[in-house]
Amino acid sequence: MTRARLAAAICAVAVAAAGSWLWPLLAQSAGSPSTTAASLPRLPDGRPDLQGLWLKSAGGFQGLFVGSLDGTNFAAPGGGRGRGARAGGPPPGPRYEYTPEAEAERQDRLKRGYEDPEARCHLPGVPRALDQPAGLYPVQIIQDEKYVALLHEAMHDVRIIPTDNSAHPRNYWAWDGDSRGRWEGDVFVVDVSNFNGRAWLDMAGNFVDENEHVIERFRLIDRDTILYEATVTDPTVFVKPVEFRFTLKRVPAEQQILEYSCLEGERSLQHYTDEDGGKKRRAK
Amino acid sequence: MTRSRALRAVLGSAMLAATLAPAPESAAQTGQQTAPFAPARLWDGKTPDFRGIWQVRGTAHVNLEGRGGIIVDPPGGKIPYTPQALKRRQENYRNRATADPSVKCYQAGVPRATYLATPLQILQSPGNFAIVYQENHAFRVFHPDTRPHFDATDWWMGDTRYRWDGDTLVADVAAMTDQAWLDQAGNFHSTEFHVVERYRMTGADTIEYEARLEDPSVYSKPWTIRTTLHRMKQPGVRIIEDECLEDANGVRRHVSPTDPRNLLKTDYSRWKKPAQP
Repeated sequence: MTRARLAAAICAVAVAAAGSWLWPLLAQSAGSPSTTAASLPRLPDGRPDLQGLWLKSAGGFQGLFVGSLDGTNFAAPGGGRGRGARAGGPPPGPRYEYTPEAEAERQDRLKRGYEDPEARCHLPGVPRALDQPAGLYPVQIIQDEKYVALLHEAMHDVRIIPTDNSAHPRNYWAWDGDSRGRWEGDVFVVDVSNFNGRAWLDMAGNFVDENEHVIERFRLIDRDTILYEATVTDPTVFVKPVEFRFTLKRVPAEQQILEYSCLEGERSLQHYTDEDGGKKRRAK
Repeated sequence: MTRSRALRAVLGSAMLAATLAPAPESAAQTGQQTAPFAPARLWDGKTPDFRGIWQVRGTAHVNLEGRGGIIVDPPGGKIPYTPQALKRRQENYRNRATADPSVKCYQAGVPRATYLATPLQILQSPGNFAIVYQENHAFRVFHPDTRPHFDATDWWMGDTRYRWDGDTLVADVAAMTDQAWLDQAGNFHSTEFHVVERYRMTGADTIEYEARLEDPSVYSKPWTIRTTLHRMKQPGVRIIEDECLEDANGVRRHVSPTDPRNLLKTDYSRWKKPAQP
């Protein structure tokens, strides 16, 4: 872990600590949808202004964190086994229902966790770009009448999403696929296709192949909260669509995105246990 | 803040002030006295609109000092290395086939990312300015210079603070690694590297890019490069994903997303149960 990473981790812990103090207040301030819609920041074209620096607050990511789904997510004391977990139950994290062959493939990948491409600094794909460990890597959103751009700290991943609902290209295969956005009222909807079939969904062997298709929804539910939802379909992998749902919280303006230079020196494989083969891989 | 950092900050602001005073050198050199181009504005009616996909022409990315070099100061077009640093450059040059960080698919650094043979996209809204470089999906978020640089980092793309000097964006870049190169010829800098960039629209489809580079431990004096970013206007032009793939020997190579080699189909046949006899 580089010094910058360490600093980020410390910040993340601080944010999480602050969050656990703040969440009752946030829960009260969520308000009714109608009053919130009127008070949302907007661009001149009338669209909700999604711009800012955002941090995934809770939910997703292998159930390490819990959160409510009314827009006020928070890290549970004790990493998912604490009060929040007992009171509200675990968050409805993604449920994967694989086809028999894909289940066998998944079990195989689970044994070869160190082959997770993200451990070798590859782009995470979608929705993993946003479904990073909660509270750790922010995303900067810059928006105009033609684009919504997501600049991710993690893997310095970039998605510049045109908002003209244009068609996906032919003969284009990418880790992050090809994203085309449109506004459905106040919801920013992104259709993602053209995946190259290389990205995994997490560190635990969950995966998609080249037939992956994602519909993402970004909903600004109050000034400081985006509810993010992604529906992942892949007919050769899943028998049912997989749903991701978590919130992004606004990071105070005095903070900034840090550089994540992974390939340039980070040793990501250290995050995998020796049982996963981390030791073996490191020795190489 | 360490002493060298503090010194650099002071020096930096002094140099910044010094670079602001004179009129654009290029206009003075050619003797033309034309009114400066007035760029379009963002929806705040104020901020110059630099949005678009841009790319330089030429071969500066191969060798800043070469035939297509873009060094405008000193006049000879050579980097004012200290004798010791020049030796290191020659060594870099000999090892360039493997030692160039770009060969390893690392982020290009500043200012190298600007004059690569691949495009960049400027993203902008009132109060926001960022550049996305296609090569290795590097990006820089420009922060207002109302607060000091992020201290004691060794980033590939540096830490950028900017302000508007009229219609010119002036960016102060520091906190950079000593691992990045400036071109394919082994030109380099240390962690004392400090860059002042100036972006100025000279027409609807051109941005003049100027960078003043200083590094007291490598260069005997600051030096300046200048080049032009041209707007890419082809229909449907976009930044495409550039993620290197490991080849058979485990070496990372650029593979375009339009190259079918990028596509990996999962083979499930090995999991299929054999048909019952």
